[in-house]
Amino acid sequence: MEKSCTLLIHFDKGTPAIANEIKEALEGNDIPAKIDAMKKAVMLLLNGETLPQLFITIVRYVLPSEDHTVQKLLLLYLEIIEKTDLKGRILPEMILICQNLRNNLQHPNEYIRGVTLRFLCRLNETEIIEPLVPSVLQNLEHRHPFIRRNAILAVMSIYKLPQGEQLLVDAPEMIEKVLSTEQDPSAKRNAFLMLFNCAHDRAINYLLTHVDRVSEWGELLQMVVLELIRKVCRTNRGEKGKYIKIIISLLNAPSTAVIYECAGTLVSLSSAPTAIRAAANTYCQLLLSQSDNNVKLIVLDRLNELKSSHRDIMVDLIMDVLRALSSPNLDIQRKTLDIVLELVTPRNINEVVLLLKKEVMKSQSGELEKNGEYRQILIQAIHSCAIKFPEVASTVVHLMMDFLGDSNVASAIDVIVFVREIIETNPKLRVSIITRLLDTFYQIRAAWVCSCALWIIGEYCLSPSEVESGIATIKQCLGELPFYSVSEEAEATDASKKTPQSNSITISSRRPAILADDLFSSLAIFFLAAVVTCTLTKLVLRLEEVQPSKVEVNKATTQALLIFVSMLQLGQSPVLPHPIDNDSCDRIVLCIRLLCNTGDEIRKIWLQSCRQSFVKMLSEKQLQETEELKAKAQVSHAQPDDLIDFYHLKSRKGMSQLELEDEVQDDLKRATGEFVKDADDANKLNRILQLTGFSDPVYAEAYVTVHHYDIVLDITVINRTRETLQNLCLELATMGDLKLVERPQNYTLAPESSKQIKANIKVSSTETGVIFGNIVYETSNVLERTVVVLNDIHIDIMDYISPAVCTDTAFRTMWAEFEWENKVAVNTVIKNEKEFLDHIIKSTNMKCLTAPSALDGECGFLAANLYAKSVFGEDALVNVSIEKQADGKLSGYIRIRSKTQGIALSLGDKITLKQKGGS
Amino acid sequence: MVVLAASILSKSGKVLVSRQFVEMTRIRIEGLLAAFPKLLGTGKQHTYFETENVRYVYQPIEALYLVLVTNKQSNILEDLETLRLLSKLVPEYSVSLDEEGIGKTAFELIFAFDEVICLGHKENVTVAQVKQYCEMESHEEKLHKLVLQSKINETKDVMKRKASEIEKSKIDKNRGDKGGFMSMGSGRIETSLSEISIPSSGSGFGSGSGFGGLINEVDSFPTKSKGRQPSSATAPPKGSGMQLGKSQKTNQFLESLKAEGELIVEDVKPKAGLAKAAIAPPTDPITLTAEEKLNVTLKRDGGMSNFDVQGTLSLQILNQEDGLIQVQIETGGNPGILFKTHPNMNKELFSNENILGLKDPNRPFPTGPAGDAAGVGLLKWRMQSADESMVPLSINCWPSVSGNETYVSIEYEASAMFDLQNVVISIPLPALREAPSIRQIDGEWRFDSRNSILEWSIVLIDNSNRSGSMEFVVPPADSSVFFPISVRFTATSTYSDLKVVNIIPLRGGAPPKFSQRTNLVTENYQVM
Repeated sequence: MEKSCTLLIHFDKGTPAIANEIKEALEGNDIPAKIDAMKKAVMLLLNGETLPQLFITIVRYVLPSEDHTVQKLLLLYLEIIEKTDLKGRILPEMILICQNLRNNLQHPNEYIRGVTLRFLCRLNETEIIEPLVPSVLQNLEHRHPFIRRNAILAVMSIYKLPQGEQLLVDAPEMIEKVLSTEQDPSAKRNAFLMLFNCAHDRAINYLLTHVDRVSEWGELLQMVVLELIRKVCRTNRGEKGKYIKIIISLLNAPSTAVIYECAGTLVSLSSAPTAIRAAANTYCQLLLSQSDNNVKLIVLDRLNELKSSHRDIMVDLIMDVLRALSSPNLDIQRKTLDIVLELVTPRNINEVVLLLKKEVMKSQSGELEKNGEYRQILIQAIHSCAIKFPEVASTVVHLMMDFLGDSNVASAIDVIVFVREIIETNPKLRVSIITRLLDTFYQIRAAWVCSCALWIIGEYCLSPSEVESGIATIKQCLGELPFYSVSEEAEATDASKKTPQSNSITISSRRPAILADDLFSSLAIFFLAAVVTCTLTKLVLRLEEVQPSKVEVNKATTQALLIFVSMLQLGQSPVLPHPIDNDSCDRIVLCIRLLCNTGDEIRKIWLQSCRQSFVKMLSEKQLQETEELKAKAQVSHAQPDDLIDFYHLKSRKGMSQLELEDEVQDDLKRATGEFVKDADDANKLNRILQLTGFSDPVYAEAYVTVHHYDIVLDITVINRTRETLQNLCLELATMGDLKLVERPQNYTLAPESSKQIKANIKVSSTETGVIFGNIVYETSNVLERTVVVLNDIHIDIMDYISPAVCTDTAFRTMWAEFEWENKVAVNTVIKNEKEFLDHIIKSTNMKCLTAPSALDGECGFLAANLYAKSVFGEDALVNVSIEKQADGKLSGYIRIRSKTQGIALSLGDKITLKQKGGS
Repeated sequence: MVVLAASILSKSGKVLVSRQFVEMTRIRIEGLLAAFPKLLGTGKQHTYFETENVRYVYQPIEALYLVLVTNKQSNILEDLETLRLLSKLVPEYSVSLDEEGIGKTAFELIFAFDEVICLGHKENVTVAQVKQYCEMESHEEKLHKLVLQSKINETKDVMKRKASEIEKSKIDKNRGDKGGFMSMGSGRIETSLSEISIPSSGSGFGSGSGFGGLINEVDSFPTKSKGRQPSSATAPPKGSGMQLGKSQKTNQFLESLKAEGELIVEDVKPKAGLAKAAIAPPTDPITLTAEEKLNVTLKRDGGMSNFDVQGTLSLQILNQEDGLIQVQIETGGNPGILFKTHPNMNKELFSNENILGLKDPNRPFPTGPAGDAAGVGLLKWRMQSADESMVPLSINCWPSVSGNETYVSIEYEASAMFDLQNVVISIPLPALREAPSIRQIDGEWRFDSRNSILEWSIVLIDNSNRSGSMEFVVPPADSSVFFPISVRFTATSTYSDLKVVNIIPLRGGAPPKFSQRTNLVTENYQVM
């Protein structure tokens, strides 16, 4: 068992304290100097020095000091010094401190007694504690509550030691007696805690005899009572009935902490609807009454857990949960909506949507910075409601369309995507949506929104009047023709930048949007121009179908052609900073050709196929969603060996079996790092690294365990010579973000014997690290030191990253933001694109964000995004773009982006190493 | 519900101070704290985050982060409360809230953290209390030191006197050696001082040379300490060869013992002794004393947990010639009382005729000198009861906190059974510098600042004042401080109502003159 660490203090290496100086100061009579020296000694100890020579000085000169601070520091010193030898036996000199501790336990100063008792709580050495036991027990009856409190805790800690039951045979009885007379709330709590930990039958007994007064007890005691109840019910499920009443009575306690704990206990104890409802109600109350965001978020987490285990009950509380939206914190609002969206049923959908609508309105009026984002998540929420329950779509879609011109681009995009989906899935709403869209079209600011809106207009304007007004709206927004004339070129050069703006409303009005939306940059203007062209073409083609008058059609055609040409002219004019790109230019030219020469084939593609592929995309999305849902449902199915509760056979009390393991205890153990999952033994052996050669005088091999934030090296060192190796030291050095925790120690190794050495290394970021090392030793006859250089130990980045999921937008934002890029050229023997991608995913332990359906088919090229997160919360982005060459080989690039250099480099190395494949 | 560690980090993520409250390895805690700055997002409006295994709750303080690391099931409401308290404490101890400031006061902060969280559990304390705990100002210790000092002074005085005496005698003999004696005298003073001021800690290991010897020494602690007062310092310094003055110093000595020995609150005994001493020595040739001792424990919120009366009838005879007698008594007929005679008494005679006489009628009763107040016990009786109406005096104490003060009102109610004399009600108070302010009182009060006890005395409780009250104000204090209240009083009538009717001389003749005393005293009368 590794030594535990009770305190850390930052140690400035710039001012090294010398042991001699400390010693002198400790021997002197100057109290402040003594205090200072003690502090320095403690700091040096914390820093890894052992200072064995100081102990006697401290025993002689510090132990007798009457100064309180000195005594307290002395306790800290005693707390951290090594009290046992390497074999775990107590050092003989430790007995010297017993007398002092005993004096302290009988000190007239109550605080000295108290802190000494507290120190005993941290002491594990029975040999030191044994002679102190009578003094500890005396303090149980001291007049001062401060002493009693700590004395009880000391008794508890001593009793919990391995031989504690022999040291304090009747401790439980004693504490029980103390508990019955104790009045100080804290001491009472400690006494109950002691019984709870050491003799929980007595604790139960005490609880049950005072059952009526539990609600009058202090907050601290009530908390332990709840803990006790949980523990008892876990071990003895039949007892539950006795305690539910206590919990119910505590639900009305004045302390919110107790109430919170009660609700948690109730949930863990029972799955009866009443109990769950009471717990959920309590959480909802806390959610409203507590103003602290942390509390709200954690309570929401609890509600979320309830939601997944007891959905039917939570459905009734949906409106209560929704009230949390009143908090101005975005995280809270998001979490609330996440919970609520899964609780929506046909019965409550109207109510929910009504409230969401109200919230959207409210978000418009406030001037808060976050309102835009809030509106966005509200819109997303309404969107998903409308998809699930199409009947509500009609009530919200018009309201939503007011936000097409929202200055928050993201929410405008959400709205338009929503509208696009609704207009397809809800044919009844088509007419009204189109009318509305045409009315509000001029408000649209963002290029992306605009192109999406144009697509809708192009696809869903069906009747002659709609088509005509569609064409008119677009024309109106484009402004007057021509966009650019040669005569203007003659104007002053400094006005050149203004020219396109004064000429075209559309373009000028799109300017700010383009600036805001960096995804599309300057290309967007002409991309948009191409979209406008396509839309107009589509509308004209449709007009041909629906408009009987040939004259009208021709008129529209010529007008459209004129616009196209003007756009091209503007695009090629020298006044713009960037000329039109080839793609857009080609598309515009294509449309001009098309309108001049229409045909059935082309008409079919333009008027039907587009729509069909959109429908296909929607159904694909739906399919994916249902599959995810199915997968989720799969998980919650019972295991073959689970117990089955038959409703009709259940006991009348309504309490079902509870399937809790000792989760509280595990939780704590996990938190302190004591809980380590047993790894696969075969795997374990794979990680053994040979550090020296077989013929070296010292053979060493290491077994590397990687925990989250630390690496443990278990090194076996074997002396292969016939001589005793003295001062053998394993010196390690690291490269990368690794840090050694302890200083190396010297060992003496007998001939042909072996030694296990443990080294801890701290990891502080995700990157490939290297550990170098030497083994240095002396032999008895030669005085010079011999050095054996060890193999390097490479720490694999794969141990630190795990697959994760993020949204497309988030991925793009990060991609644009991150500074470090590592570009790896593809060089592999794998011939198949898909196979190569799978190989990369497998060897980098990342998640592919691109949908599988998008990767289907044989088209000779493939692009996919991969994502992973490190244990330190760092993001790792990878983009794979490959193309199949004519000779069947794959070529292309893998780009890695991250915020820190370490990840980009290490991941790149990893990919370079593994991409070859074939093995 | 456990706080694993409370730490202070700089904004750059450097760990300045961290105190762990449960056992965890260094690498673990360092790892957890190293991860903190990495996991800390920006622009969040909440101050906690969770990882797979732990939860961090933090609060930025200027250039620092105050962080609590808890397990994930920890009660967030409680932890936030703890964090709030700690955040108030940090500026109390560290003037400048930056790396340097924290570095300077790291130890003080650790001490303060220890007062707030105990083994991972929150303590119910306020900032003021934590400061008080950390200052460690102890009234009792001061007192202890005073006593010690006075003893030292006294020893010094004695020493000086002796030294000068010796000197004088030397001068008388030989005037030349003066200087040498002076130096020797002072040397002795010093050695004895050092022996006093370093209470036995030196002796524990000073002589110990081997390990085994040390263990023996330590093993013998428990047995040694049992019979002794807690502090060995009060034992007279051995080897000094000088005696402490007995006369007026004993009082102080007793006081100091009381001051230290809260464990064995035995204030009752010395006072009972005093009460007895106050009774004038008997002058009549035959004196019969019926005394009842009262052991009562009342509960603070009404009811009683113990009621016990022990009575004795003792006989004192001044002159041997009056020894051959029998005593005729009369009891009040209280059925709850069981009488027990001395083994040498004739039981039948007593049970049939209520006459106390020796089994062997030819033996006289032993006689005692006038000074010995005890006499010979003839009869013992005992009464226990659960009947609250038997309680002679009930106390009702109501501490109530109002604002920055605690008001305590106390009232007594005496039963009509007895007239009580010399009633003293002692109420323990929190440590105070000045006497509490008494708002209202029936009777008199006295504040014993050494033991911080308020004594409320009423000379006589009779029909005129069967109930009375007192009210006083002290700084805010927990109500449990005011208990246990101990009460002492005396009365001249007893529960048994035992009376000596007659003395029958066995040799005939006129019955000798006798006096009879009846006494009810409190031995241990407490309100818990």
